[in-house]
Amino acid sequence: MEFGFSQEQQEVQQLARKILSDQVTPVALSEFDEYRLPRFDSALWQQLATAGLSGACVQQRYGGMGFGFMELALFIEEVGRSIAPVPAISHCVSALLPVQRFGSEEMKEAILPGAVAGEILLTAALSEPLNEDPVDPRVMTALVDGDSLVLSGTKTAVPFAAQAHYIMLAARSAEGVAVVLLDPQAPGVTLNPQRVSSFEPQCELVLDSVRVPLSHAITLTEGVGVMQWVGERTAAAICAHQLGASDCAMRMAASYTSQRQQFDVPVATFQAVGHRMADCYVDVECLRLATYQAVSLLASEVAATTEVQIAKIWAGDTGHRVSYATQHVHGGTGIDRDYPLWRYCLWLRHNEMTMGCSAEQQSALGARLAMGEALFN
Amino acid sequence: MNIQFTSKQLALRDELRAYFAQLMTPALVAECERDMGEGGGPLWRDALRQMGDDGWIGVGWPEAWGGRGMTPLEQFIFVEEIMRVGYPFPFLTTESVGPMLAEHGNDWVKRELVPKILKGELLIAIGYSEPDAGTDLASLKTSAVRDGDDWVINGQKMWTSLAHFCDYTWLAVRTDPGASKKHKGISMFLVPNSDPGWSCTPVHTLGGVRTNATFYDNIRVSNDHLVGELHGGWKLITGQLNRERLSLINFGPISQLFNQVVRWATAAQVPAGGRVIDRPWVQQNLGRCRALIECMKLIVYKQSWAMTEEVLAMADASAAKVYGSEGFIEVYRMLGEIVGQAGLLRPGCPQATAEASKIERLYRTASIITFGGGANEIQRDIISAAGLWMPRASR
Repeated sequence: MEFGFSQEQQEVQQLARKILSDQVTPVALSEFDEYRLPRFDSALWQQLATAGLSGACVQQRYGGMGFGFMELALFIEEVGRSIAPVPAISHCVSALLPVQRFGSEEMKEAILPGAVAGEILLTAALSEPLNEDPVDPRVMTALVDGDSLVLSGTKTAVPFAAQAHYIMLAARSAEGVAVVLLDPQAPGVTLNPQRVSSFEPQCELVLDSVRVPLSHAITLTEGVGVMQWVGERTAAAICAHQLGASDCAMRMAASYTSQRQQFDVPVATFQAVGHRMADCYVDVECLRLATYQAVSLLASEVAATTEVQIAKIWAGDTGHRVSYATQHVHGGTGIDRDYPLWRYCLWLRHNEMTMGCSAEQQSALGARLAMGEALFN
Repeated sequence: MNIQFTSKQLALRDELRAYFAQLMTPALVAECERDMGEGGGPLWRDALRQMGDDGWIGVGWPEAWGGRGMTPLEQFIFVEEIMRVGYPFPFLTTESVGPMLAEHGNDWVKRELVPKILKGELLIAIGYSEPDAGTDLASLKTSAVRDGDDWVINGQKMWTSLAHFCDYTWLAVRTDPGASKKHKGISMFLVPNSDPGWSCTPVHTLGGVRTNATFYDNIRVSNDHLVGELHGGWKLITGQLNRERLSLINFGPISQLFNQVVRWATAAQVPAGGRVIDRPWVQQNLGRCRALIECMKLIVYKQSWAMTEEVLAMADASAAKVYGSEGFIEVYRMLGEIVGQAGLLRPGCPQATAEASKIERLYRTASIITFGGGANEIQRDIISAAGLWMPRASR
């Protein structure tokens, strides 16, 4: 049992923190507010790629650093701490990882070096209208026709779809679930921009008989296993992002209340304020432990469905409670757009509602308990 | 980062599991249940002596003190296994006061008392709180006054749990009424409960557990009974409380209770058809409890690891106490909702099932943990000050 970080893990953490704290300032973030520009800082993205962080968990022969999922999650935690305008989760986790794990050698050689270098942008479409279970596509369908797969249907909330070179998605066919890399320039693809709380660039993706070459398929029939694998890693990555963001919001509130004076004393000295912050501390600690547990199990390819569900429950609950507590103890300052907290609250909400909210995860965990799974050892 | 036990730690767990399975005879289990998880019965005492003979007391003490020198992580495994079988282990004596005596006691204490603790032959109660000194413990009034070579002790203590079957009381007394700050005038004594000036009346609590008010009427003890430095007791009290806090939160029994309720709800058929566990709200409660208990586990694991590595942060120790104590209460409530009105049946009632009557009792006994061992308000003060660097109000 080891709760500390290895030398390499600390180096990844420090490298990411250095670049992100230098580059991601409130002024830089304000460029993207209200979708004035797509929330994608390509110069920063390139810098992170050059530093090796976006390929942290890609094998060295494809140009990556050759680390594991833990190191990647620590990078993503730092992206959350700075709420950097980069596609770290959708590119590095949801799309790049399954290509490396399940793609053909030909696909890996074509995609991974460019994806690591920051030249090719990947993303994944994991949600459908009224169906947020990535493992069980219903709306998107696939049909084999000669050397192509013909796709029709809709995916929603696809992050960075308009910027990406390939979109990984799953579709239901008569034989099972297919997973493909889609070129969004292909005929029959429509991208309808969606505007969301966090200003993340997102699109609704509508496919009308789009032909995808079979060579771009990760699997034609075994997509359930692939999407389970991807879904759990994406959920764990969102937990890591939420951990960074909630830790930062909490410390901002602790520092603000220590300086802000009312009745001639710092408001932090009121027990009601100190205790609300102490509750945030406990919540963030629970999220931290649950996330690190899930990530470290996934990094060793150990079954971790229960641990991921639990981490995502904490990501939702901690995010919600920290968001409202930190705004509250800031008074009006917390919601003032000239002060940095408000963007954190948008991201805490974003992460809470992405890849299954707390109620949904609790219910899924409860259903597994009813089937005799997930008991304590 | 790797949150799994090593094979050596798992082997220790298996060894302990086998040992306790053989130790806990049905008669001992029945006696422990009768004594409401407090111990003190004759079979309980025999088993404690047995553990002493077999070297299972003081597992975390350094070998130089006669212990096994286990790391806090291994100690944690020990505690978890013994709690799992339901033996009320006298942690306050063996893990909390005992190590303080081994470290700070004089020659007499080390020669006469410490070996008996390790043998399971000597039990110690804690005398801190008084009618007017609870959370503000340093305002205590019980006094020790020098008389020749001896000390004469007078006063009253509250919540002296287990005192009615203990051999000594670890007593906080005022030795310097004129000290500049009130916590600087306190010393620690070991007072024999056999002294004619010592008396005790029971206090019965909501949970059915007995505690005591204890009285100290002109008790004369030699200077050997003073532990640590004169007027230097406060450091020993806080040191002991830190140790005590670490043994308060234990996830073994609650994870077992959780599994028991899941198994019951899976087997229990409702008259209208289907199982209890098929109800959506039951699954929702179970999902919430599962996530809550998992973090209890992770928090105590991390704490044991941090102690082993000597990197335990004060805020994290307090966070564990707050989260654990309030989490227990939340889980007892949610599991109680699942068993329904059966969770109101007292233990021994013919209609009561094992898990439901356990919840009935736990729900009543749980309130002590949010204020015992340092009130959660104080813990939250520590968290915001030590964990978030927030300034604290003056008291």
